[in-house]
Amino acid sequence: MAEKMVRVLIGCITFLIVALLFSILGVMLLKGLPAMHAGFLFEESRDFGRAGGVYYQSIGTLILMGVAVLWSLPVALGSVLFQTEYLDTGKLKTFLTQLTYILNATPTILFGLVGYLLFGVYLDTGVSWVTGSLILAVMILPTLQVSIREAVEALPEKYREAGMALGLSRPTQIWRIILPQSFYGIVTGVFLGLARAAGETAAIMFTATTFSGIQFPQSFSDPVPTLQTHILVLAQEASNPESIAQAWGAGLVLLGLVFLLTLTAWAFRARVVMESEL
Amino acid sequence: MHASIGARQLEPVGWIFAALNLIFLVSAMGLGIFLVVESVPILRLEGVDFWLGDDWWVGESFGALPMICGSLMVTGLATLLVLPVALSGALFTSEYLSPPFRRRVKGIMELLAGVPGIIYGLLGVSFLTVGVKDALNLLDGNTLFTAGLLLAIMILPMILTLSEDALHSVSSEFREAAESLGLTKLQTALRVVLPQSVPGIVGAVLLGIGRAMGETIAVMLVVGSLDRVPGFNLFASGQTIPSKLGREAAEALGSGLHWNALMALGFTLFLVVAILTFSGHLFIKRNSQ
Repeated sequence: MAEKMVRVLIGCITFLIVALLFSILGVMLLKGLPAMHAGFLFEESRDFGRAGGVYYQSIGTLILMGVAVLWSLPVALGSVLFQTEYLDTGKLKTFLTQLTYILNATPTILFGLVGYLLFGVYLDTGVSWVTGSLILAVMILPTLQVSIREAVEALPEKYREAGMALGLSRPTQIWRIILPQSFYGIVTGVFLGLARAAGETAAIMFTATTFSGIQFPQSFSDPVPTLQTHILVLAQEASNPESIAQAWGAGLVLLGLVFLLTLTAWAFRARVVMESEL
Repeated sequence: MHASIGARQLEPVGWIFAALNLIFLVSAMGLGIFLVVESVPILRLEGVDFWLGDDWWVGESFGALPMICGSLMVTGLATLLVLPVALSGALFTSEYLSPPFRRRVKGIMELLAGVPGIIYGLLGVSFLTVGVKDALNLLDGNTLFTAGLLLAIMILPMILTLSEDALHSVSSEFREAAESLGLTKLQTALRVVLPQSVPGIVGAVLLGIGRAMGETIAVMLVVGSLDRVPGFNLFASGQTIPSKLGREAAEALGSGLHWNALMALGFTLFLVVAILTFSGHLFIKRNSQ
């Protein structure tokens, strides 16, 4: 009897937790859809964000996350291949793995602080989209590394053995066997990294973005408006119903983008699992 | 085989990978080193008083105690609130759900964990602060309690999914043995599976606390941003380390003692989160052995 009650209780709790996702989605749709007039995505924001759309904000978010992955992917790929293909198990490898974990858990605002100093001041890129994308690149590095490493380590040992038996050099082995076979894992990592970069606000709010007055960045030293900072500014004008309505609209666009990227990543990850089960 | 890699084994492609690995190494280590180096001026000036002082007046003195207390209270509250819920969810998912449903719950947790902080912030500002204000009859809903509540929701998916991994990794032989001894499913779960996965659950909670400590945007929007040592009053406005950094980084950008003080705050946060993460992974690793 008591056993059954406990089961029902923790079952209900689990149900409520699962329902949380759907209530967040529901609230975002309910509050965000009214702001989504035709062309919300393709209109400039007007009147300090109180009217218009989020065109340049969306472009800014896409620029930052896209360029961040461009910086991050070669480093993630190279460091993982170095660790898996060239480095034997040992203290250095354990240390590097720990470093990935710690980098992954580091509060994102710290990437903003240090990144601003390192890139903005020393590389002299200032408050700009270049600084922001470099900061995000370091931030999403662990995300990419973990996905790529999982894919590379999931490769059956016989693939490598076959390569060695053919007398392939290590670079040829990597180019012909490892990279093609872990392709889906790499793509998974890229999309998860994009999603993580798209959802980030703290690291870029004072290093890369501006609220209004800027459209397309004209040079390397221009900041961009982004959906994240747009919501941040508007959310703090909670007493103004027009601002908050626009914030919900922008929030819905951002959440949609993040979920879309995550689901795409899953589609590719399913391929990784399928192939490792062959 | 060689114990480690010598320069002779590397062909040109290997050197490229080594260089890329070095970039990773430098950016990860550089983060910590920069935080230390940049906080030296303020720590040299104030010493331990930086952490013990409770006044933060730009230009006069920088005391981090209000932010440290705020961070501890908010994360403490979030952990207390989330534990029973996350553990119930993990136990049910691991012990009672069929594999397809289990996968679905895990997937939903992953999506939930990916919801951007700013979205939680927006929801917090619009509903939670108002709800807390009305329910508790406060003048202002921006309190440490509100921030703790919001953080509890934010770290729930992470703690749930990691503790579920720990529970699920207990070998099914133990379950079968326990059930053949006549234990019921619940008894098996509580007396056999749960004790064995304690290290993994502890690890999950440590990682969750680390995540909660560093959350900036959502907390910043609902905590009230008031620098004062909160005492034991959860229902007053306060400040956490990341919310302080978020509020003031833009004004102090790049130079001056104010910037050094912020970097020292950041270093304090980094140290705590790094220790939590390191020990968390140690526990999780021990669980899987």
